[in-house]
Amino acid sequence: MKKAIVLLLLAAMAVFQYVRTSPAEQDPFLITDYSRLRPVKVERVVEGKAEEQLVELVRRAKAEGKTLSIAGQRHSQGGHTYYEDGIVIDMTGYNKVLSLDAEAKRITVQSGATWEDVQKSVNPHGLSIKTMQSQNTFTIGGSISINAHGRDIRNGSLIESVESFRLLDADGDIINVSRTENPELFPLALGGYGLFGIILDVTLLLTDDEVYRESTVLLELEDYPDYFKNTVLPDDDIKLHIARISVAPGEGYFTELLAKSYRVDNELALADYSRLENNDKWVAPGKLLFNLNRMNDWGKNLMWDLQTKAFVEQTDNIVSRNNAMRAAWMFMEHSEPGSNDLLQEYFVPIDELYPFAQKLGAIVEEEELNLLNITVRYVNKDEEAVLSYAKEDMLALVCLFHTPLSKEAQSKLQHGVQRIIDEALLAGGSYYLPYASFATQEQFEAAYPRQSYFWQKKRQYDPEELFVNYFYEDYKS
Amino acid sequence: MDLKWLIRSQSIMTLAAGMIYPYYLLFLKNLGNSYSKYGLAFAVFTISSAAVSQWLGPLLDRHGLRMMFWSALGMMAAMLAFPWTASYAMVLGLQLVMGVCNAMQRMSERLLLAEYTVPDERGRPLGNYHFWTSAASGFAVLLGGYLIDWLTINILFYISAVLYAVSAWVLWKRSRNVRNSSKVSSVSRGTML
Repeated sequence: MKKAIVLLLLAAMAVFQYVRTSPAEQDPFLITDYSRLRPVKVERVVEGKAEEQLVELVRRAKAEGKTLSIAGQRHSQGGHTYYEDGIVIDMTGYNKVLSLDAEAKRITVQSGATWEDVQKSVNPHGLSIKTMQSQNTFTIGGSISINAHGRDIRNGSLIESVESFRLLDADGDIINVSRTENPELFPLALGGYGLFGIILDVTLLLTDDEVYRESTVLLELEDYPDYFKNTVLPDDDIKLHIARISVAPGEGYFTELLAKSYRVDNELALADYSRLENNDKWVAPGKLLFNLNRMNDWGKNLMWDLQTKAFVEQTDNIVSRNNAMRAAWMFMEHSEPGSNDLLQEYFVPIDELYPFAQKLGAIVEEEELNLLNITVRYVNKDEEAVLSYAKEDMLALVCLFHTPLSKEAQSKLQHGVQRIIDEALLAGGSYYLPYASFATQEQFEAAYPRQSYFWQKKRQYDPEELFVNYFYEDYKS
Repeated sequence: MDLKWLIRSQSIMTLAAGMIYPYYLLFLKNLGNSYSKYGLAFAVFTISSAAVSQWLGPLLDRHGLRMMFWSALGMMAAMLAFPWTASYAMVLGLQLVMGVCNAMQRMSERLLLAEYTVPDERGRPLGNYHFWTSAASGFAVLLGGYLIDWLTINILFYISAVLYAVSAWVLWKRSRNVRNSSKVSSVSRGTML
């Protein structure tokens, strides 16, 4: 009798797990990206291994009328890296460091290499990356295809540090692209979301590794724009900077802000700090805390309180540039079925930060969105890429929303996001494209005025629509 | 003679093993880019298990219970060490240790099953034993998967270590009871340590 009960219990648990993991986003035979939002069947996933293989792949796909989508780590969230019934090219194995010229501070890597691979290669030479995201897990090809940005406030956008790259285009030809060679393609493929061909390898300009002293301050959000313009920007010794806005309900909600600056300290010897550290230590308590942050208001308050204490305590922490550019991420990993954390990012002119943030905070409350975190980062004006987002110096607000993956929840989130994008546009700002395609066509066109030129060139360079993804399908015109 | 204590301690041990076994395979898989490297880790486990069995065999009759106790402690140590592995060589070292523990546990389990059952009446107790240890494994695997989603695989290693420690304690208690009772059985000669 006891055994029967135990068996029944086990069977019930197994059935529960089966049902819990049955949504399409959990299906191992479908392809999706980090968002788990749009799982579809693709014809096959091919690992990019060699140049000849990729050329052959492109030629054959074109002849057979198949579509190609290019995937790195697939951390973009709008279906940028795959397409139904098409071929997905997984470039993560195409990751060699081809050459490093330490004197000239220049490195050439295959596009599937990650920032981690680059850091490992350049760190021993006392060199570092100019511009990259906070985490180092993304591929170079992917990062330049979205024109990424990060904590660096002196080196401009990622595109500025790209000297040249080789592109395998829709005709199966490999061409060199730089500001002087095939210059038309340079600002199209960079920030072009994989629509102009396969980026084979990239030559990046590097900078020197150096030692920073961190300093964190707790501020009123209202005072941040002036603080940034008058205290951070003019101080040339501050090289990296990042801020965080409180989303914990209560007094600090959208009024408190933590700002962290990394100031160069030439008294300290690089050799003492240059060893590359793994910043993903003690993941379990961080993961637990972040789970509490997802669950309820108490968790959010706890998270903000601990962050405030920890950040302010760590003030005066010493770190090398390379170590500052490999932020922890494992504590944020969310693999539970049925829900996920989705990113959104909005750009606003610096002086518009406070009014926009208030509107954002109000919309989050009204639409009952579960906002986990807002990170604020500076982006210099850069209009080189065709799909540029920084028409002037701006502040980027990276917002992490936790949401169920059901249709209703997605619809609700989309509605809230569209309201937020409207406010960003009203403020003279924009929104970032590598995330879920919640924006309307009108919002896309308003945020990216050169989009019609972008689509026109896409049609010119890839008339048979060989390179396709959901970003293309959602917003082409 | 009844098997309850053996079922209890071995159920806890399979709970410990089940919590980590399918998941630590993924942990290992991430360590290398080739299937051969992945397979080698397992080969080392089985080879060390086979090798040590010849040395353990002669010791088994007198030290069965002790062997089972030490296999539990050995596995506990391995579980505590796994999250700290910094190299493939260290992984192979731990696989070797676990192979030895595996031999100790399997061999003593068979001896104790034989000792504590009666000829011609072994079927039912063996069925019971298999049921409870397998069911424990099932619970562990289901719970383990859920826990990794919420926490990390390292936490699972530590929980597993705690469970191995508990099963070692159950075995230690058993050895004391057997020693203190008037019945003298061949497996209880000698102290645990």
